[in-house]
Amino acid sequence: MMNYIWACILLVSLAYSALTGRLGAFAQAMMNSSSDAVTFIISLAGVMAMWSGLMEIAEKTGLIKKISKVLIPLTALLFPGQRDPETISCIIMSFMSNIFGTGNSSTVFALRTMEKLDAQNHFGDTASNDMCTFAVVNMAFAPVVPVVTIQLREELGSSDPYSIVLPCLIASAATVIVSVAACKIMERRF
Amino acid sequence: MNNFFSAISAGFMPVMAAVIIGYGFFKKAPVYDLFIEGAKDGLKTAVEILPFMIGIYIAVNGLTVSGFLDFIYIVFEPAFRLARIPVEILPLIFLRAISGSGSFIILQNILEIAGPDSFAGRAACSMSGGCETVIYVLALYFGVTHVKKMRHALAGGLIGYFTGIAVSLVICSIL
Repeated sequence: MMNYIWACILLVSLAYSALTGRLGAFAQAMMNSSSDAVTFIISLAGVMAMWSGLMEIAEKTGLIKKISKVLIPLTALLFPGQRDPETISCIIMSFMSNIFGTGNSSTVFALRTMEKLDAQNHFGDTASNDMCTFAVVNMAFAPVVPVVTIQLREELGSSDPYSIVLPCLIASAATVIVSVAACKIMERRF
Repeated sequence: MNNFFSAISAGFMPVMAAVIIGYGFFKKAPVYDLFIEGAKDGLKTAVEILPFMIGIYIAVNGLTVSGFLDFIYIVFEPAFRLARIPVEILPLIFLRAISGSGSFIILQNILEIAGPDSFAGRAACSMSGGCETVIYVLALYFGVTHVKKMRHALAGGLIGYFTGIAVSLVICSIL
């Protein structure tokens, strides 16, 4: 799947920039984005190592097992059959950091979750239901309060910067509900 | 009010750290050794996902630089005018699915041109709320697994994505 998406995006961009005479800019963008990716990962690596370290403590001291017992009813709705305490806590941590708007932390927990789901899937080459649901829900999730957007509105002289909080909440709630429903329906067919 | 929410957002990490370390300390666990052990794993993951990040960055930035969005704009503009959806938000609708930082610049443009309190401005704010972009999640999340067939992950993501846009437009025209 990724092979098609990636090839299509790049070929279309190449063709279009050739047509509009932007091949030079395109070449420059390819070089720059490669090093930008490395810069981004380096900044993410620190956060990642920190959370992984903290989660290791929480796991080995049995804190995760305790917390996940409380959380199972919450995750059972989205991930029926998911019983592994560590996976459940990673899922919840990923969702929570998304909701609180700490995006980088969320990525860290999301990747941990995917690794654990992969192991449960016996490292097979077909995605499990839980993997698809988790990925789709994380695409749909939005911060409860879009702080950055509100700031931007304030700077640009909005009369009521907070007026978008309710529309944002409704839109993201609808997105999550529809995404999950779509997943649950599609997982029986694909 | 923004301060309050920023405080919650900022307090999330310290509180989690305090609970985890405090619990480990009272359980007399070797917290520092465990932290180092876990941090090593975290760094390994960071290195493992680097190739995927380079792949996405090249594709996303290449698409942005090529000016392909102008083309999409020309193709979809008549339909948008017909449906009475502000044309300003067209680029946002397409870029939001592939690039988070790129779409933020576009959001800023829309707010500057149409004004933050206009219908276009409010709808744009509402639909740009998501955290992760569809393509980023697919490439990165599945990058750390052995999965080759993603089944309905792309379809599910796109359905949710367009739901968010449609609901934003409807809500902002009512409220």
